[in-house]
Amino acid sequence: MSQTNISYKQPLLETPFHEKTREKCYAHDWYRWAGYKAVNQYTSTELEYTSMRNTAGVVDISPMHKYSVKGKDAKKFINKLITRDITNIQPHQVVYALWCNEDGFVVDDGTIFCFDENNFRICSGERNLNWFEDTAIGFDVTIEDISHSIAALAFQGPLSCKILHMLNANNIENLKPFCFDQFTINNQEITISRTGFSGDLGYELWCEPLQAHDVWDALFSFNKNYKILAAGLDALEMVRVEAGFIVVNADLMAAEHALRPNRMRTPYELGLAWMVNLDKEFFTGKEALIKQKNKGVEKKLIGLDVQGDKPALGSVLYNESKNEAIGIVTAAMWSPSLKSNIAMGYVDKQFMKLGSKVLAEIYHLEELEYRKIWAQCKVVKKQFITLERRNAVPALI
Amino acid sequence: MSKYDAIIIGGGHNGLVCASYLSKKGCKILILEKNENLGGLVNCASSLNGFSSKILDDLKIDLPKLNYNSYVVALHSDQQHTILQENNNKINFIKSNASGENQKKFSSLINKYKIYASTLSNFMYEVPPRLKSGNSKDTWQLINMGWKIRKLGKKNMREFLRVIGLNIADELEDNLSDNNLMGLLAHEAILGSNLGPRSPGSILSLLYRQAIQNGLFASEKYDFHQLIPSLEKICHNQGVEIKNNASVKKIITTNNQASGVILDNEEKIDAGIIISNADPKTTYFDLLGTEPLDTDFIRRAKNIRTKGNIAKLTITLKENPIIQNIDKEKMNAKFIYAPDINYIERAFNASKYNKYNENLCFEFHHCVNVIVANIYYVPHVKNNTHNKERLIQHSINLLKPFISNLEIEKAELLTPNEIEEKYNVTGGHWHHGDFEIDQMLMMRPFYGSAQYTTPIKNLYLCSAGTHPGGGITGINGRNAAKKIMRDKK
Repeated sequence: MSQTNISYKQPLLETPFHEKTREKCYAHDWYRWAGYKAVNQYTSTELEYTSMRNTAGVVDISPMHKYSVKGKDAKKFINKLITRDITNIQPHQVVYALWCNEDGFVVDDGTIFCFDENNFRICSGERNLNWFEDTAIGFDVTIEDISHSIAALAFQGPLSCKILHMLNANNIENLKPFCFDQFTINNQEITISRTGFSGDLGYELWCEPLQAHDVWDALFSFNKNYKILAAGLDALEMVRVEAGFIVVNADLMAAEHALRPNRMRTPYELGLAWMVNLDKEFFTGKEALIKQKNKGVEKKLIGLDVQGDKPALGSVLYNESKNEAIGIVTAAMWSPSLKSNIAMGYVDKQFMKLGSKVLAEIYHLEELEYRKIWAQCKVVKKQFITLERRNAVPALI
Repeated sequence: MSKYDAIIIGGGHNGLVCASYLSKKGCKILILEKNENLGGLVNCASSLNGFSSKILDDLKIDLPKLNYNSYVVALHSDQQHTILQENNNKINFIKSNASGENQKKFSSLINKYKIYASTLSNFMYEVPPRLKSGNSKDTWQLINMGWKIRKLGKKNMREFLRVIGLNIADELEDNLSDNNLMGLLAHEAILGSNLGPRSPGSILSLLYRQAIQNGLFASEKYDFHQLIPSLEKICHNQGVEIKNNASVKKIITTNNQASGVILDNEEKIDAGIIISNADPKTTYFDLLGTEPLDTDFIRRAKNIRTKGNIAKLTITLKENPIIQNIDKEKMNAKFIYAPDINYIERAFNASKYNKYNENLCFEFHHCVNVIVANIYYVPHVKNNTHNKERLIQHSINLLKPFISNLEIEKAELLTPNEIEEKYNVTGGHWHHGDFEIDQMLMMRPFYGSAQYTTPIKNLYLCSAGTHPGGGITGINGRNAAKKIMRDKK
C-alpha cells in the first residue's frame, strides 16, 4: 500500500482487494470502515448470508486494525492488557480476548495471534495504539500498527474447508479452531487461521497486499460448481448476531469512546465472565472486576427470542405489565436459519434468568406509517446457533 | 519481623519531617538517602521563608530568627529600580517610578490576593478528601471546603472564583500601567511552574504560593542553614536510622502490597510501610515499576506536568557587588529582573518549544561576594543537550548591566537536567509538578494517587508532588505522617 495517510482531504482508501470487490459490487453500497471503503452489500444481503451458511462467503476484512507486538516482554505485556490468562499459549494459537480500563469497563475486544514467545499480533475493531502504548510503558516491547500492510479475508461457511483443500492447502482439515498456520494457495504462501465471526466453520486468510488478487481469484476458481459469494458487512452482521458475538460500539460503548459513565460495560455485564481470569496476578481493571463479581451485575446482555416476524430493532424492553422500561435491544433480525425472530439486548437484574418473559415495544414502519407491536420475548442464551461443523476436527471436506 | 516499621526513600526535608512525626509516635524508621548530604532540593533553594512555623512548633525546633529588612528590588534596565519592603505581610513602596494611583492599585490587588490566599491556606494542613469515594467523611470535608470559600462573602467569592481560572497578565493589564510592577507580580506568579504570564491559571499559582509560604515575597524569617541539621538531630534523638549514599533501586511488592526495598548494591531491606519522598513519576516509573499499575493510572502519572525551567547560577565575585542606585543596606534584598509581561511571555514562548531566548528572567540574592541566581526559562530538554558554556555566558550577560563591578572568579550553573540528575527530581521541577487547578488539593499529584496513598497497599508518598505541593514547607511530610498514623489504627 502506497497510500496510508488517512485524511479528510482525500477520498477513503481502497483495500488491496478493491479491484475485485468493485467488480462484484453491483449495488455500489459502500460503507466507511477505519478510513477504508468497505462493501455493505454486493447484490443482496440475504443471498450473501445464504452463501455463508450454505456454501461459503468471502468478506474483505482488510480495514481491521492490526498491531504487531514484539519484544522480550510481549507475553507479559499482553497478560497485563487482557482479562484472560495467556501464560500457557503456544505458537500458532489464537485467543479471543477483552481488555478493560481501571474501572473494569471494556475498552475493546480482539483476537491475539501468537507467533512465538516474543512475537504476537493483535487484531481489533477499534484503534488501540494509544491504549497499547500506555499499557506498555515499562515493558520491553515494540508495538507497531501494521493495519495497512496486511490484507485479510474472512472465508466462512460449510464449504470453506473443502475449497481450501481443493486449492491444495496442505492438511487444512486438521487445523484446529483458534489455530493458525502457513499454507500455500495459488503459489502464494499465506497465513490461514481457523477463526471467524460467523459461528460456522470458517477461516481467515492473512496475506500481503501484493498477494491479494491471487488469493481472491483462487477462492473463486471452483465457482462453476460451488457458487461461493463475496459477502458484505450486512450479511456478516446477520451471521454474527446468530452466533451471539458482540460488536464494540454497537452492543456496548468502548470505554475510551463513551462520554457518559453509565454507558460503559464490564465483561460480566456482557455475559463474558468466562473471559475474566481473576487468578492472574495483575491486569488492568482486576480490582474493579473483583468488586463487581462480588457485588453482582445490575444489567446483562442476553439473547431474546422475539414473538412474530418483525425485527425488534432499537426496541425498548418492558416488564409484562408494560409499566416499566427494563432494557433495550442492541441488535435484532429475522434469522433465516432458525426461522425465528431474534435479538440481543440488555435487561435488568430481575430478568436476567433464562426463560424470563419481557415485552419488546416494536415500531414497525409499513408504508409510511408505524405500527406499534408489543412482542412477547423470552430470555435465551446469546448464542442462538450452534453448529457442530464449527469445531469439528478434521473439518468437513 | 522486619527491623523497621517504615522506610522513607529520600532524606529531603519532607522525608525528615515525616520521619520526625512518625518516630515521635514510636515508629522505627529508616531513611535512605541517595546523596551524601541530607536535604535534597533544600540545598538548591535560595530561601526557606515558607517552612511551616506550625511544624517548627510541633517538633520544637528553634531556628535563629533573622532580623531582616526584607527588601524586594525590581530591576529596570534604565537603572531606575523599584524598591519595595515587605513588613509583617504589608508592602511599602520605598522607591518607585509608578504613579500614586498605580501604587495604590498594586497594594489593593495584593490585599485582595491576601484574603484569597488565606482562604486557600485553610486547606493546607488537611489531608484532602477523596473524590467519588462514597464516604460521608469525604463529602463533609468537600462541603466544608466549599463553605470556607463561601465565607469570603458573596462579592469576594465571586471575584475569587473569577480569578482562579484567569491569567495574571490580563488581571494586571486591567489594573496597572506600570511595567515594572506588572513584571514583578507576574514573576511571583509563574516562578517555579511551567507557565507564562498569559497562561490560564497563573493567578491561582500566585495565590497558592502565597498560601503555602504565608506571604507574597519570599522574605527571610529564619536562618535556614540550621533547618536540616535540626531535623536530623530530632530524628537521631528519636531513634531514626539514616543511611546516606544508599540509592534505592526498586520497591518490592508482594500481592499488591509493599514489603521492602532493594538498594543499588542489591541489599534488601524489609519494612511494613514504604514511604517515598521521591517525586510521583520517579516513584511509579523507576522505583515501583508499572507492572502492578492500571493503564489509566499510568496515563495520569505520565501526564502530570513536571517540566522544570529554572537554572541555578552561583557566581563568586572578586569583590562585593555594587548595584547602581541601591544603597549598601538594601543589598541584602531579593533582586528580580522581569521587566514587563511581554518580555517574560517571549522568554516562555521559546521554552515551550525547548528553545531559549537569550533574554531570560532571573532573581538573585547575594551574600558577601557570592550571587545565587535563579534563571528562567531554561527548559528541561531531552538528552540534556544544553550548551552550558553558552548558557553561563548568557546568564552573566544578563547580570552585567546591573552590577557595575562584575568580575567573576567562579561561575557554576545547574541546568534543570542537572537538578533532575542530582536530586532525582523528574524534569528538575522545583515543586515536583506545576501548581495548576488540575494538580492541586485532591488532584495532586493526580486522581487516584492523592491523599498520600498509592494503589499499592502500604506504599505512601510524602514528597512535594503531593498536597499541598512544593516550596520548602514540610507540610507534605507532616500530612503524610498523619495519614499513615490514621491508617495504622
